[in-house]
Amino acid sequence: MLGGSSTALPDRGTRSRTNRWRSAARLVRDLVRIHPQPFFIAVGGAAVFALCTVGSSVVLRWVIDHVIDPRLRQGHVALGTVFTGLAFVIAVGIIRASGVVVRRTWAGRAHYRIAETLSGQVIDRLVEQPVTWHQRRPSGDLAARAGVDVDAAVDVLSPLPYATSVVLLVLLSSIWLLIIDLPLGLLAVAVFPLLISINVVYQHRVDKHYTDAQSHLGDLSAAVHESFEGVQVVKAFGAESRETARLSVIAGRLRDARTSAVVLKATFDSVLDAVPALTNVGLLVAGAVRIRSGAITIGELASMIYMFTLLVFPLRLIGFALSALPHSLAGWTRVREVLDEAVEPDPAADLGVAADHHGVSFTHVSYQFEPDRPVLVDITFDVPSRSTVALVGTTGSGKTTLLRLAAGLIGADSGRIAVTPGTTAIVLQEAFLLGASLRENIAFAGQFSDDEIWSAIESCEGRDFVEDLPRGLDTEVGERGVSLSGGQRQRVALARALVRRPALLLLDDTTSALDPATEARVVANLRALLSESTVLIVTSRPSTIALADHVVFLNDSRIEATGTHNELVESNETYRSIMEAFEHDRTTVEPGPI
Amino acid sequence: MDTELAGRLGSARILSRGVQQAPTLRQGFGLTLVLAIIGAAGRVVIPITVQQAIDHGFTKAGVRVGFVATLGAIASGAIITGTIAQRAAVLRLGRRSEGALYELRVRVISHIHLLSIADHSEERRGALVSRVTADVETLAEFFSWGGLAWLLDGALMLLVAAVMLSYDWLLAIIAFAVAMPLAWVLRAVQGHLGAAYDKARTCNAELLGSVTEVVTGAETLRAYHAGAVMAQRSKEVAKERGDAFVRAGTIGAFLFPSGEVFGALTVAAVVGVGVARGTAGGLTAGALVGFVFLTYRFLEPIAEFTEVLDQTQTAVAGLRRLLGILDLPVGPPPPANPRALPEGPLSIQISEVTFSYRTRGETDDDEPVLIGVDAIIPAGQQVALVGSTGSGKTTLGRLLARFADPGGGQIRLGGVPLTHVSNDELRQRLVVVAQEPFLFDDTIAANLGFARPGSSLADLQAAVSALDLDEWLATMPDGLQTGVGERGSQLSAGERQLVALIRASVADPDVLILDEATSSVDALTEVRMAHALERLAEGRTTIAIAHRLSTAMRADRVLVLEHGRLIEDGPHDKLVAAGGRYAELFAAWVSSTSTET
Repeated sequence: MLGGSSTALPDRGTRSRTNRWRSAARLVRDLVRIHPQPFFIAVGGAAVFALCTVGSSVVLRWVIDHVIDPRLRQGHVALGTVFTGLAFVIAVGIIRASGVVVRRTWAGRAHYRIAETLSGQVIDRLVEQPVTWHQRRPSGDLAARAGVDVDAAVDVLSPLPYATSVVLLVLLSSIWLLIIDLPLGLLAVAVFPLLISINVVYQHRVDKHYTDAQSHLGDLSAAVHESFEGVQVVKAFGAESRETARLSVIAGRLRDARTSAVVLKATFDSVLDAVPALTNVGLLVAGAVRIRSGAITIGELASMIYMFTLLVFPLRLIGFALSALPHSLAGWTRVREVLDEAVEPDPAADLGVAADHHGVSFTHVSYQFEPDRPVLVDITFDVPSRSTVALVGTTGSGKTTLLRLAAGLIGADSGRIAVTPGTTAIVLQEAFLLGASLRENIAFAGQFSDDEIWSAIESCEGRDFVEDLPRGLDTEVGERGVSLSGGQRQRVALARALVRRPALLLLDDTTSALDPATEARVVANLRALLSESTVLIVTSRPSTIALADHVVFLNDSRIEATGTHNELVESNETYRSIMEAFEHDRTTVEPGPI
Repeated sequence: MDTELAGRLGSARILSRGVQQAPTLRQGFGLTLVLAIIGAAGRVVIPITVQQAIDHGFTKAGVRVGFVATLGAIASGAIITGTIAQRAAVLRLGRRSEGALYELRVRVISHIHLLSIADHSEERRGALVSRVTADVETLAEFFSWGGLAWLLDGALMLLVAAVMLSYDWLLAIIAFAVAMPLAWVLRAVQGHLGAAYDKARTCNAELLGSVTEVVTGAETLRAYHAGAVMAQRSKEVAKERGDAFVRAGTIGAFLFPSGEVFGALTVAAVVGVGVARGTAGGLTAGALVGFVFLTYRFLEPIAEFTEVLDQTQTAVAGLRRLLGILDLPVGPPPPANPRALPEGPLSIQISEVTFSYRTRGETDDDEPVLIGVDAIIPAGQQVALVGSTGSGKTTLGRLLARFADPGGGQIRLGGVPLTHVSNDELRQRLVVVAQEPFLFDDTIAANLGFARPGSSLADLQAAVSALDLDEWLATMPDGLQTGVGERGSQLSAGERQLVALIRASVADPDVLILDEATSSVDALTEVRMAHALERLAEGRTTIAIAHRLSTAMRADRVLVLEHGRLIEDGPHDKLVAAGGRYAELFAAWVSSTSTET
């Protein structure tokens, strides 16, 4: 771990380590700059704590030499001296405690206010970037940038004020120990670097086991989730015990990683307990010699031992603070990646205005996901205003992409797209619902009266199911609320579009989860409601195709034919065979004579 | 008070039941305890040594360096012994507890797998997963910290108290009296802190949910110009989360320092009283200094204990949920004396079958899903179950597959009551293809092989060919080795169905229960599926829960269910001619799949 490449290339290892410190310093500077005030108040509180910790040792020395020793060994002490000593003990204790309160309170403020600001910046950026930007990135990864990554980056701040106070504490106490007695002080101070390095090495090594354990836990939880999700298959094939055996292997790995961590922890914990205790014994024996020679008092020796005891715990946290660093740097890098990237231009800005009597016009439009993977090639067609056009084609023929282009969600590589002025509404195949009320899901950041919302729902044949919901329009849907069926979700998404009375309505197989009879009624309703609008429907259901004025038939990324359904059935062999496949079900088993 | 006591007793019972479920924990616990006490003794060596040195080493007559050196040697020996004992105690507890947690995890996983399908509803899945992960983790955290603290700090506090009492019982009692209120203060602060952190965690989950919405809904948000509004909403959630954590942090900021304050007060009280009383009670300077050191040793665990108590409660709550799962009865019970099924194709007899879902005591009126269903299906017959949503056709399919047992009546397979068939034999002879078949995140081959472990690639290939799906398989980038993605997301819905059909064919069952998909798939896949299905059903007793009436048309016989009752039974043509409910359903379906309006 520590050898290997770093011994082979010492120069490079040193440089990368310096770089790491430099980026850590930059990380802290950039974060603190967001809300400097609470952070520095916390550091101030930490400094008070460090001063008072050394102070409490000074007070103990004074109390032993001026109160305890005179009274219990010489027999006399002035009452005023006793009260002064006790007042000092209590005062230093209270001030030291206040330092901690100030540090912790303001460190928390700095931490969470900075996290809040950063999350906000990432969220803003996420909604500013166009759909094409989102499509190139997995959504789980993006969500993590505003959540766990921000938290990881900011994690470095919490222990920082405390770490500063520990450094201050080590400095002050070293000075104090050396001032009391140089030889004894040197003995004590020499142990600090030893304790710090043991801590750092321990943290480094145990982190590896914890990281392993964490990743095994992640694996276990994913595997358990999958196994329970597929329980029907597991049961259908009687594989219950096989699955348990498979999962227990992963659980065994978790146990092993955790056990290794325990072994390491037990060993280091005992060393870290024993070293200071043995040092104290050494101080005591060496102290006896110094007391005999009159160099120090009993109070001074006791306060040195006491000081050393107080330092053990803070020193342990140094390793802990350092261990957060790589984690924070990784989080910060991921946050910056999102924030530093320029906002890409909005493809909607390139949409032209269609000529009169035209709902949508595509002129020589081409689009590809990546080089040499054309999705649409040289698409040219016009949709007359107020007409309904069905887009028909096999899977992967580019229907959905064509709708997205018309909605301005993505931009064409070449060619020109123009749409009718007014609102365009698109309803995607997978209905997206917010974890919010039904009303919010339909209004969706717009302002609509209940009457308008109800009328939209009615056009989607949804009144019955909405009225059956416990709180009607105010019913919360999604994870914490009612879970809707696929067909219900699609109808809510459709109502969201209809309530806006769009001039252009784009439907991507929106009604596929509805039964054919409901679907037919919905299409008829929306035709009646939007008599002035242009409607473009992607569909594979013959009954829906039959309701369209025109059909645009896509095949292999190109428009193969356009016309009415009947014309295409007559004139186009491929179209006819696809339609036959749709109807295959019924025609192959037409009821014969009884 | 009474309820608190009852709660404690309840916790004790839960802990003892937990130990029963994970017997590893109990092994050699006595020795671990002894080692922990020796370890704790190592931690009071320093105060005692300081006291001894001050009282007997640094005398008025002069410093006895030799005595102090001897003292140092003994102390070093004691410290090293204590350290070794403590390490051994920590190791033993750690190893045993990790072993016990493993046992518990496996036991819970196995039990959950055996629970009935009804207990595996989608809403409960998250809860089941968190039993195995989050709840066991609360126990893991407890053992790695809380359990250790009970063991080590408990021993330490007892020893410190004993040493204090031996020095000076009056001062010891004063020290306890002044320090004790700390426990109350800490409990009070912790009550608030726990609530504040609960709130903060809820806010945190809300922020994650809100950000996830912004990301997964990016396209819809953009299409409806709702991005800015949603971002604002998310940022408000982020602010609430910040507030909640700052509040929790502020409460927590008082927790640790209160120990400091009580420490200072206790030291002041002990020194004040000790000095006032003087040597009258036999108090020495060394003992008083020792007291100051011991006070801190005594207060440290108090602070830790109050936190540990909370953690212990969390762990007990986690354990309670785990035991709750283990208390759930497993799915249909295995037969005591299984009877073998006859060879060859199997008939199905459904006699007076009634069923209602348990509603877990929420309401008394469990509405029956099936009422007196009666039918005899000869071996090899192709049957379609038809009915609108909620008619009970899916439930009947589940009962036939014995995912649950009927509340009344009986189902016989090949003449043998289902309750007398061993699970292994049942699963070999009868296979269910689900409506939305589940695929594991693995290759197509692995998913097919799931039906029959040990199948060779050639076996799988043969199953593909048997259903005439070679042409389809050729479209897969890596053939049988193509990865299907999470839940099969790399395949289309229709392709997932195809894989499920081949998987059923690999199992080669005598009875096939098929829950047909509702969603539309593209034309080509539809054609392939229909054909594969025909091939698969050949020679097997097949029950199709039909959503497409074309399936019903092809079947030998149609069973029509409505509101849990079997209302029509006969071949397609007859039922259409009869003009009943089926004829109605069929007419609606014909018009919807036709382009002739």
